[in-house]
Amino acid sequence: MVEPDFSAYPMQDPHKPDLDDSLNVTESHDRLVREAAAVAREKRVNDGGREPVSLWLFAASAVILIAAGLALGKAGNFFDYDEYVQPGYMRDNLNEGGDEGPPPVDALKGYMAKGEKVYGKCIGCHGPDGKGGGAYPSLAGSQWVLGETDRLAMIILNGLQGPTSTGKTYGVMPAQGIGMSPTDLASVMTYIRNAFGNTKGDVVTVAMATEGIKISEGRAKAGQPLTKEELDADHAKDLPGDPLDPAAKVDPVTLNPVEEGK
Amino acid sequence: MATLENDQDTILRASIDRSLRHPVMFFFTSGAAWLAVAILLGIISSAKVHSPGFLDSCPWMTYGRVTAAHQTALVYGWGCQAAFGMAIWLMARLSRQTCRNAGVILTAGHVWNLALSLGVIGILAGAGTGMPWMEMPSFAWMPMLLSYIAIVVGSMVQFKVRPEGHTYISQWYLMAALIWFPWFFGSAHLLVHGFSGSPLGAAGVNAWFRSAMLLMLFAPVGIAMAYYLVPKVLGRPVYNYSLSLIGFWSLAIIAPWAGMQKLTGVPIPNFLPYLGAFAAILFAVPAAMAGINLLKTATTDLATVNESPTLRFTVWGLIFLLIFGLASVLLNLPSVMRITQFTISGYGYDVLGVYGFFSFIAFGAIYFIVPRITRREWLSRRLIKSHFFLSLYAVFGIALVAIFGGLMQGVGQETFTSAWEDAADRVVPYAVMTTVSWCFLLVSNFFFFVHLTLMWLRLGRRSSHPTLLVEPHHHDPHGPEGDIDNAGPAVH
Amino acid sequence: MSFRNFAIGLTVSFGLAWFSVVVLPFFKLRELSPVSFEEGVDPKSGIYFPKTTGRVVDGARVYAENGCYQCHTQVARPTYAGNDLKRDGFAGLKADPDRGDTRRESNPFDYVGLDFAQIGVTRNGPDLINLGRRLRATYGDEADEHLYRHLYDPRLDPAVASWSNCPSMKFLFEKKEIQGQVSDAALDVAVEDGFQIVPGPAAKALVSYLLSLQHDDVVPSSMNYAPVVPGNDG
Repeated sequence: MVEPDFSAYPMQDPHKPDLDDSLNVTESHDRLVREAAAVAREKRVNDGGREPVSLWLFAASAVILIAAGLALGKAGNFFDYDEYVQPGYMRDNLNEGGDEGPPPVDALKGYMAKGEKVYGKCIGCHGPDGKGGGAYPSLAGSQWVLGETDRLAMIILNGLQGPTSTGKTYGVMPAQGIGMSPTDLASVMTYIRNAFGNTKGDVVTVAMATEGIKISEGRAKAGQPLTKEELDADHAKDLPGDPLDPAAKVDPVTLNPVEEGK
Repeated sequence: MATLENDQDTILRASIDRSLRHPVMFFFTSGAAWLAVAILLGIISSAKVHSPGFLDSCPWMTYGRVTAAHQTALVYGWGCQAAFGMAIWLMARLSRQTCRNAGVILTAGHVWNLALSLGVIGILAGAGTGMPWMEMPSFAWMPMLLSYIAIVVGSMVQFKVRPEGHTYISQWYLMAALIWFPWFFGSAHLLVHGFSGSPLGAAGVNAWFRSAMLLMLFAPVGIAMAYYLVPKVLGRPVYNYSLSLIGFWSLAIIAPWAGMQKLTGVPIPNFLPYLGAFAAILFAVPAAMAGINLLKTATTDLATVNESPTLRFTVWGLIFLLIFGLASVLLNLPSVMRITQFTISGYGYDVLGVYGFFSFIAFGAIYFIVPRITRREWLSRRLIKSHFFLSLYAVFGIALVAIFGGLMQGVGQETFTSAWEDAADRVVPYAVMTTVSWCFLLVSNFFFFVHLTLMWLRLGRRSSHPTLLVEPHHHDPHGPEGDIDNAGPAVH
Repeated sequence: MSFRNFAIGLTVSFGLAWFSVVVLPFFKLRELSPVSFEEGVDPKSGIYFPKTTGRVVDGARVYAENGCYQCHTQVARPTYAGNDLKRDGFAGLKADPDRGDTRRESNPFDYVGLDFAQIGVTRNGPDLINLGRRLRATYGDEADEHLYRHLYDPRLDPAVASWSNCPSMKFLFEKKEIQGQVSDAALDVAVEDGFQIVPGPAAKALVSYLLSLQHDDVVPSSMNYAPVVPGNDG
């Protein structure tokens, strides 16, 4: 008869044996059952089954893989840490299902409203009434303001030094063209030609202003303020572009022409 | 049969159980206490979603803090401690080694509890970090990590010195969980607390961490326990061994990539959330493999499954694992994700994983392990049945209702032509149902706490027969019942 | 399976994912390279890099501590991921009097200055990434007064009173005795005679943070995903 070896179980105190060390197997078994009944009835655990695995499981896994592929398909370029949106992403039209935004207005009014806001940075010198207050040229009734649009655009974009249309010299006007969009330029030109008592009555369109910016960048002395000589020589003409009926409807924000009936 | 081999096994198992009785019982009772706290906080939090005036005069109970405290208590108090109790017991049993550092484990468990308690108090007092599932103030994570290492190092040594021969599938799952947890817990907290200046990076790490807790701690420990309990109680082999291995390795390969899907549409590298969604959907494969492998095993003897409290809970835990896998697939499909991403579906999914799947298996394990370490049987069939049925209804009431409710809420959110009020109103009925279900859970777990406390006080039944969920006059598979006396001397 | 093979398999499978999905993105997102406006294409010039003030960081901490992220998100997702942009006010204004439609997706610079981007968990309440913008557009100079009242008790905010389940954050405010005149900062809420409710320091920081949430500015063309409209020249 073999005695169980307790040396491997140091938690057991030999003076108060937890479990039996009797030589009688039946007696010790009964004791075990009495004292550790739950453990005594345990069976050995076995993970070695070899039942056939249903093909349905693999079919289900294939379906899951396809579903997962739907998600992976939206990932774009893998491990491209610089691409924060899906490649080729273009926003949906945000206005479908809702209304269209602010209503269209007359072109002249729309341009002037925008131009008034842009004029805010001119007020410092030319004054809120456009008259300049003596130290700066008056825009009201000015020959250059009401004259050819190419010349006026050049002055606004590049600045001016030397005498003005009246022959008087006021110092150097700094260039205003840095960061000025064609919309800003067109609207402020339209504004000063139709405010302060001026009543030119026409609209300098965004397309014309775009041409004006191109001409300004193509100047031989691009970036430097103009002089009366250069203006008379090169820019005594209107900006190219189709005229816009001052009563046509435009979107008040983008100044794009809006079709009638919209 | 009184064979010597059986008796040797019994003696070995009994000594292992005896060596571990203090730490394991501690983790189960402490975990159960934290579960009580988590449920109470869960009721308060859920009530505030539909009745904001409830307890609104107390800043400690404001919704944001109470919800964070509830999740922290549930995950780190109940979930982690149940996992530790199961892992150390199971690894010792399967490696056939007694525990030699029970005192260290017990102390470490108390340190964990202390850090967690201070963390939860910190959250309620208004010192939370604002990162979901990582809300405890920054002092807490390091002591918890260190105490974790003290808790599991013995198990890793036991695995190393295990006897030659076959390594059981549960041991692989446990080793994986024991290695993964410190890696992901430590690195996530270190990145988020140790390095500033990456707001979106920290959000990403946090999202990955939440998924890692579910898929790389609770899933492997729960599956490991199920792989032990089902064949053990039934006395049958697991259905197919190769399926076990495929299931394990597919989890190991898939799980680390999941988590970022919570940040779909956020300005982070675009492939991350979709790769996360891919992995989250694929998680259903290892879930299905483990679940079906074990459920097929269980169908070989449904009578025992019905009678055994352990198996009833474990089998239902496996069914919830399959449902959890299915939810993983459905919620992470891109077309569904855009609707449910910011809804209560995420909460329902988390509860399904933590309570439906993991906690049910943990209850099954507790109903199996506690009689062995206390050498008493459970007192009342009725208490176990009440615990079971009320928990079952509550999980359906919280998890499935929240997942469905989130879908409804999401549809309201996406309908941009209606006012936000519509989306907000849609949540209310589901929130009410959730509160009621948490109350069910409180009642069900009240029965459980009472029962567990009585066992802890060694007031369980002294019997050679387990407490089964059958009427006493039915045929008892163990034969006539005998009385046992553990208090007397073993040797004369 | 030997332990060695197991350890290698586990390390490779976990390590690869951990490195490429967790560690690398975290550090890459820590160094955002600034994006420049293009001359001639964009209406502005220079570098696009909005900044946050110190006060905002304090407010973000109050937001985090009180768990606002449990019910509110802060992200405007691109249209392939959700309808956030289509809802007026979430991603910008549909009809701003100056700029028209200012709605845009969130970009990484929207979260600069914070340690944790409060993307959020659920949207029980509306998204907040453009809350400041929305409030100022609706209430103008009274936006902060409105927000204080909402935080004090959302049931007193006429805009949301009938349906909001947002908690009352009364503990962020202080009840003070009226000394002489009623303070400018006092809230217009019912309180017993002789007393007034004024915002505490946490409430002030939080409101300062919430009103700073305005992320519908013009972005460089490389980050502008608006569909090209003919005639639009910036």
